[in-house]
Amino acid sequence: MPKIWIVLKSEFLRRVQSKWFVGITLLAPLFIIALMVLPSLFMYYASQSEQRIVGVADETGVLFPALEAASDEQLRFVAIDEPEADVREAVRAGTYDGYVVLPASLLEGDGAVTYYTGEGGGFSARARLQSVVERAVEQQRLAAQNVPPDVLQIVNTSVPVRTIQLTEAGEEVGNSEFYFLVGFLMGIAIYLAVFIYGAQVMHGAMEEKNTRVIEVIVSSVRPFDLLMGKVLGIGVMGLLQMTIWSLLVLAGLTFAGSILAQFINPADLNLPADASQEAILQAVELQIPALSPLVFVWFILFFVGGYLLYASLFAAIGSAVEQQQDAQSLMAPVTMLVIIPILFMVSLLESPNAPLSVVLSLIPFFSPILMMVRIAITDVPLWQILLSYVLLIATFIASIWISARIYRVGVLMYGKKPGFRDLIRWARHA
Amino acid sequence: MSHTLSIEHVTKRYGRFVAVDDVTFEAQPGRILGLLGPNGAGKTSTIRMIANITAPDEGSIRFGGREVGPWSQELMGYLPEERGLYKKLKVGAQLLYLAELKGLPTLEAKKRIRYWLDRFDAESWAGKKTEELSKGMQQKIQFVATILHDPALLILDEPFSGLDPLNSELLREIILELKGENRTILFASHRMEQVEQMCDDICLISEGRIVLQGALRDVKRSFGRNTVLLDFEGDGAFLDDLEARGLVRLGARSVSRVEINLLKDTPPRLILETAMRHVREIHRFELVEPSLNEIFVRTVGKQAAAGQTAPEPAAAESFS
Repeated sequence: MPKIWIVLKSEFLRRVQSKWFVGITLLAPLFIIALMVLPSLFMYYASQSEQRIVGVADETGVLFPALEAASDEQLRFVAIDEPEADVREAVRAGTYDGYVVLPASLLEGDGAVTYYTGEGGGFSARARLQSVVERAVEQQRLAAQNVPPDVLQIVNTSVPVRTIQLTEAGEEVGNSEFYFLVGFLMGIAIYLAVFIYGAQVMHGAMEEKNTRVIEVIVSSVRPFDLLMGKVLGIGVMGLLQMTIWSLLVLAGLTFAGSILAQFINPADLNLPADASQEAILQAVELQIPALSPLVFVWFILFFVGGYLLYASLFAAIGSAVEQQQDAQSLMAPVTMLVIIPILFMVSLLESPNAPLSVVLSLIPFFSPILMMVRIAITDVPLWQILLSYVLLIATFIASIWISARIYRVGVLMYGKKPGFRDLIRWARHA
Repeated sequence: MSHTLSIEHVTKRYGRFVAVDDVTFEAQPGRILGLLGPNGAGKTSTIRMIANITAPDEGSIRFGGREVGPWSQELMGYLPEERGLYKKLKVGAQLLYLAELKGLPTLEAKKRIRYWLDRFDAESWAGKKTEELSKGMQQKIQFVATILHDPALLILDEPFSGLDPLNSELLREIILELKGENRTILFASHRMEQVEQMCDDICLISEGRIVLQGALRDVKRSFGRNTVLLDFEGDGAFLDDLEARGLVRLGARSVSRVEINLLKDTPPRLILETAMRHVREIHRFELVEPSLNEIFVRTVGKQAAAGQTAPEPAAAESFS
């Protein structure tokens, strides 16, 4: 059996068999799905349950009907004519969520509306209140000026904005925010994966050195085989974990609609009790768009490439030091390389096909994150994807070669804490 | 194939520091070669080259006539002085991994793990994590890992450290048994009485060079019978007087026992006569060959006195 394979198998098995691995692998997707589904669910429930009742002391005598007509499931306006002290009492008692005073001068374009409320927060209610009152005052004043109805209609027109994404498959309605989010999440996922699995490689190398077991190991296997076996073994573990996660999230998104529909009562939406899931989801304006499986394939491939490149660097660092704190200074440049693409991610999401975005997404140390983001949010020409991948793999081969030389010397080096210059010296003389 | 290990004119440098300087020696199958030397003498550097962990800058290392390499690693078991095992790994999995790395097929490895754990009275440890074991137990596991693949060449660096007398005895038995099976054994230690007990040949290295080598018997004989062992009761102050007069040098010494080296043809009877005048009783007076400890101190001390001891560069520490 080749030695790389033996190392790979052992590194893989000893991690996969830990309770930690099983737990994280199964729990993380639940967390991710919850993260994606819960906000819409919360918003739905919030809109269902919280209708605010706002008392209106209308000193103008004409605005209330317009307000009453604007009542919806979030806000309901009721007229009040009790003395103010009683109203305050009613707010404190919870009969009203608040009340609003509309001074007579409002119709002259003067004076301010005062909203008294029993609680803090409720910004969206306040914004809604403001627009309702504004519109009512506006209508009233326009009417007072005898503005013709067709002009009124012009004033009242609101312009809906619809987004359509153009893809090679034709046009797709709507979901650019969704792809934005997917791109962002995939970028972050690769960033985290590279860091977490890379750190495991580093700790593995450090542990072997710390426990001194390395001396026995290198008397049985070439350092290069050990390094490769370790990087690949932990990589296969990461790949397994990421694949399980991708599949679970994919499945979760496919079935998220059905799951979500279980929580929604059709009667709330004035739908018949036997309404179909599609009808329900459409009614709550919730859509979960489809994601091309190809995006997931590239996601896995870029994860693998990025992991291999960074893990080889982390392994070299781990072999050089004995303690975590000694690793910090050596890790700084590598950490920088991973953080730079995160800094550029926002501008990339903004304009994925700008020349700067294209160039950055071709650079090997950045491409695992940035090219992935572009693939998720836009149609990237195949040659760009392939070029960035070839560059990535070529850089990995160069870095594993250098790392192996550092590793060979590093694992047997105890005592002095090495600096960058030492690493370069080892790589040159090993 | 004869499993002779021959080190020929081997030199190893780290930067400007010469860790091993033109070293030549041979270890024969069926014999135990003691590799001795003070700290930082170049023992570990030499062992690492034999184990093919590092390569010599000059010279060659052959095992059975062939240059060492990955092939010889599979025939070799190495127990380093600085012990270490994977802490979280279970003993069984640990031994299996180390044996597979030596090229042993899984099933065969499992069979031998059972045999050796049983031999060391440790069969119940297989499912335990290594970190749950005591230090002595871990030592035993590491020794098992060293011999699992039935190596023709064994390199044992301080194999007895950390073992209680019972386990030391068991280990000694097994090492001698392995020697009886015609294996080539290198034994590195600072414990001279152990070396004296176990080794057939010795090789003493100091500052990267061999300063003494040969069969243990011959080496001792070459130092002559110029050592007196004296067991006595009473005041030992007379010994200091003898030493002050430059007649003797005192070796290992306790309240009632001393090893006296006769300098410059000091006649043994002078010691006996002086002792009889000063002590209450004499239980033993014997003229012997010097102990290995004494030979070590004398040889290395002489070299140091010759002014060859240059302060080692700090960085070299890690290589020695």
